[in-house]
Amino acid sequence: MKKLMAPDELARDGRFVRLNTIDRFSDPRTQRGAGTGGRMGNRLTPDRPGAPDAARNLMHGIFVGEIQALEGAGRTCWDYEVGAGPDDVPFAFKLDMARQCWDEARHCEISVKLGDWMGTEIGEFAETAFLFEAACNPDPVLRLTGVNRALEGLAIDVFNAMREFGVVSGDPVLEFCEDWMLADEVTHVKMGSDWLRRITEKDPERRDKALEFQRIVDKLFSGGGFRGDDEDSPIKLACRFRELAGFTGDEMDELGELSRQSRAEAQAALAARAAGG
Amino acid sequence: MARLVVIPETFTMVNFDHARLVELAEEVAGRVGIPADLEVRVEIDEGSPLGRTKLASVDPVTLWMQGGALENPKVPRTLSDRSVRDVFARLLFRANDRLAPGFAEAPPDDDLTLQQHTAWDTYAVGRSERLGYNPSRQRRLYHFRNRHGFSDVADAVFDRLWSADGLSWADLEAACAETAAGREPAPA
Repeated sequence: MKKLMAPDELARDGRFVRLNTIDRFSDPRTQRGAGTGGRMGNRLTPDRPGAPDAARNLMHGIFVGEIQALEGAGRTCWDYEVGAGPDDVPFAFKLDMARQCWDEARHCEISVKLGDWMGTEIGEFAETAFLFEAACNPDPVLRLTGVNRALEGLAIDVFNAMREFGVVSGDPVLEFCEDWMLADEVTHVKMGSDWLRRITEKDPERRDKALEFQRIVDKLFSGGGFRGDDEDSPIKLACRFRELAGFTGDEMDELGELSRQSRAEAQAALAARAAGG
Repeated sequence: MARLVVIPETFTMVNFDHARLVELAEEVAGRVGIPADLEVRVEIDEGSPLGRTKLASVDPVTLWMQGGALENPKVPRTLSDRSVRDVFARLLFRANDRLAPGFAEAPPDDDLTLQQHTAWDTYAVGRSERLGYNPSRQRRLYHFRNRHGFSDVADAVFDRLWSADGLSWADLEAACAETAAGREPAPA
């Protein structure tokens, strides 16, 4: 079986349609600032007129993210040999990735049932392959920071936000599902934090490179301030859960700052476009 | 058949076929029962990928919608026949209701509560299903539960509205009052 599979080789049935990154970012409507759904500076709360559909869309994004997380953890189990060399990984690391596969498979099943509950068809919305792309880095340590710490960290924030959405809207199914998946995400991020520390214990340069990759992914997914620690951030940093997952206070402050930078850059870009007509 | 005037006539930010859109909208207007001598004005904000819609006026009948409401969510910026039928049936049933005496007391759309909006949508979309269109009942039930409560009372009211015909504004108000009585205030 081949190693290091490319994102465009992911298998999907006819219900799924893949949207590539270029198409996503070249949509002229989002370039004029209409793509945030008013989310920039607006939390996703049940009292918003379009909240139920926004929640359905977001949860479908989570569903395809779960599929890709399963695929990514599975590939990470397979792509590396057991050993102590720079391209090898410890056997216990593979066991953790296998456990994560089991969790992600369960999350896929939960997400399918949650979709049924919310009236969402499988493949109803276009899929992007951001998550799996982060899981394609040839260095397993960069996969740990890009996927387990950055993207699974984002999953902590989103699941926590959607759990709160379920509480406020009185939806017992959404609240319950999110709570269970959130618990697993904390474990996945913790695995990323622990393995990053252990594998790079004697290689600070590799650790710095991995953390830089994490910052890039984090900034990308803070998209225009979508996720941050400001009161009006659509998705708020779930600091308590991140702390449980091995994030330090400094790291969370840095994430908040990245989000503010990202929001400022997006607003500046919009202003520049508006000024240019 | 009612005459539909769709603005803009040429789309530049999305790949919508104006003629196809008018054809679908007129088909829906005819099946919903919009009077043949009525002109319906449709204003589309093609610059928004979002999906908000509203019945802006009944005199003249004016529908307003963001372009995202009509697009194929799998293939952004392309027109979806299903989305067009879904949106136009819902709004045109509401317009037809407002033109009837039984809805004379209904407040303007901008003054409706989220519960009233959702109850009316349920009543409209249920009728569109019986016309042979294919709206997602479960999606509408999820909307309804979000506004009226995740409870047996709310589900029973939803079923009643979904299968109803010939309701008046008073009936929709009564439905909202029924679910409100069983709803606990949301946690702070």
